[in-house]
Amino acid sequence: MPVDIYWRIGTHGDQQSLRRRTVSRGAWAPVLPGSLTPGIRDGHADGYSYVDHMADVARASEISGFVGGLLPSFPNTDDPWAAAATLARETSTYRFMIAFQPGFLHPVQAARMSASLQRATGGRVVYNIISGGGGPDQLWWGDKVDHDDRYARTSEFLDVLKGVWNGGPYDFEGRFYRVEGAGLPEPLARQPFPEIYFSGSSKAAIQAAGRHADHYLSWLEPYEPLAEKFAQVREHSETIGRAPKFAVRVEVLARDTEEEAWEEIRRGWDGIDPSVLRGATGDSIGWQRSRSFVTGAVNGYRDLEVQPNVWGGFHLLRGGPAFGLVGSYQQVAERLDELISLGVDAFILAGVPHLEEAYRVGEEVLPLLRGRDLRVQSPLLEGISS
Amino acid sequence: MPRFLITLPARGDGRHPLRRNRGDWQPGAHAVLPPVVSDVRRGAFGPFDHLAQVGRAAEIATFGGALAPFDAGGEESLVVAAGLLRQTRWLRVVAEFHPVIATPVYAAKISASLQRFSGDRLDWQVAVDLDRSVARSQGDFVTGANRYVRADEFLTVAKGVWHEEGYSFDGRFYHVLSGGFQPPLSGRPFPRIHLSGTSPEALALSARHADVHVFRPEDDLEAGIAALTRGRATAGLRVPVLARDDDEEAWEAARTLWIRSGGEPEAVPERGPLWTGFGSAGLVGSYETVAQAIRGYLARGVTTFFLEARPHIEETYRLGERLLPLLVKEDEHAR
Repeated sequence: MPVDIYWRIGTHGDQQSLRRRTVSRGAWAPVLPGSLTPGIRDGHADGYSYVDHMADVARASEISGFVGGLLPSFPNTDDPWAAAATLARETSTYRFMIAFQPGFLHPVQAARMSASLQRATGGRVVYNIISGGGGPDQLWWGDKVDHDDRYARTSEFLDVLKGVWNGGPYDFEGRFYRVEGAGLPEPLARQPFPEIYFSGSSKAAIQAAGRHADHYLSWLEPYEPLAEKFAQVREHSETIGRAPKFAVRVEVLARDTEEEAWEEIRRGWDGIDPSVLRGATGDSIGWQRSRSFVTGAVNGYRDLEVQPNVWGGFHLLRGGPAFGLVGSYQQVAERLDELISLGVDAFILAGVPHLEEAYRVGEEVLPLLRGRDLRVQSPLLEGISS
Repeated sequence: MPRFLITLPARGDGRHPLRRNRGDWQPGAHAVLPPVVSDVRRGAFGPFDHLAQVGRAAEIATFGGALAPFDAGGEESLVVAAGLLRQTRWLRVVAEFHPVIATPVYAAKISASLQRFSGDRLDWQVAVDLDRSVARSQGDFVTGANRYVRADEFLTVAKGVWHEEGYSFDGRFYHVLSGGFQPPLSGRPFPRIHLSGTSPEALALSARHADVHVFRPEDDLEAGIAALTRGRATAGLRVPVLARDDDEEAWEAARTLWIRSGGEPEAVPERGPLWTGFGSAGLVGSYETVAQAIRGYLARGVTTFFLEARPHIEETYRLGERLLPLLVKEDEHAR
């Protein structure tokens, strides 16, 4: 089976490079000369909004060979449903991977929106279901359900969503949801059900993923813990007769040479305010795991290179997860091939700035991928079962 | 200045009232071209191409907006609204939904992005008193006056997080702690709120929250408008329209519509100021007759009109070219 490779769209603006943490695209910082969408013409905002830039990233992604993109969702981001519905008709092959938390939408409404979007896009909706980063954010969203219960709710949410998908009448009475005589109307009910990418590192998440996920999605981690996590998901899934696929979200910084790539990191690193090191909060197990992979003192950026080309400092240079690949095009392709050998079936790649890097990675890295069988002898994989 | 909007189809459309070949709502209803005619369309068009065309018709025909109705058996209105906003410059799109679709925070969040993407052209119509079985099929088991209590909380919280950073709320239905949008999501105009209904609870809710209270021609307009004076809501009217060059042609079209919709030829509803053959009461007549009826509503205090006319594309162009100019002129004379 070929590997599905997605390219993220930022829903929180973008910066022109990792060297500067100024978000110049999309009005998340003051709009000044040099800002884009909106830009300034003759002293006035030019009427463009961030979605016009998102449209460019989506088109760049589909043109460069990505199957689609992840649209993340956090309190101060644009909303991925709004973005997907807005951009549905100006892309051709781009799959919209919509990140959402089940608690915020009713499952019948989620089914209705998804089915209408399938009709608007010709079946290009994919789900990235998250059950919450937790902490103060959940109350910001107006959600009082606690961590383990959120996964129980996610399971129920998906039961109802799938229950109404193929028409009705469908009845359900659970802890969180109740419907009676529900079901999508006929032309909506004929749509393909979106593939489900499921995130979460806790035991509750892995259990819920086993039941519902097509792809179990993880942030990039060092290979050993990553393989262990996959093994746990696989083990749990087998007990209920399912076989999920695996996906990894990987930041990529690739250049012609390894030196050039690290030079880019160095320039970003030199601009970091030392007080921002280690700022994340929440009850997410994923965040706690990320931090645990870096042991020992961090005196320079190479101290965060936990194994060759796997670097854990991206969150210091832009918003988002910590781990990614840094290296030459060839090295990055080899690391991705190794991940494929570990059992990865899909990637969500990202790089800053997303528009330009979509072209770079699509043109320079993707063509070098060789896939699962050719590199199983890699020394990095020794002792790790795939 | 009166505002005129069209009502979008939720379940496709067709030239014939019972045929829904446009928008892929009736499998097999598409006319197939015979082999002698080259057909290059295969796979090129999907169901939303029709909705896009209706939206463009409203934009080009100078309508102020379009209502994407809530219809449990139809297309989802926020998805429809987002698509139309993206491909128009002027059109306001009113998305109709009920409070159970999402938490008020999430409904507001989706809407904040749509305001950003569209230059602040999204409006809301909140449907509070759904039919009981429809409500249950959407997961809503709250009944009676409690629906208005919940709608009040829903709108309060949605506006609260929209306008106020650090917003908290602890109500019967919703809870938020230290919520509220930050720039650049904050600071946009909140969608104009449209509500409807004639019960005391409905009118009281509008007095608190609505920008526009939408009546039907059957409603007691005078009593309703009087009840709204406590708030800042203006009056709107959602009304089917069938207008032609002269009255006789319009009534003939009404008769044809009735029969093609499956009505008995002997049972065509009587001609009158309001014709009931649409399924609800509506206006039939020459452009001037219909304009005169609308002037009557303007005189009674109605300022927003949701016109319903099928087939949507053809009738939207017709109304834009023939009916709206009569009313713009009237408005100019009135000033």
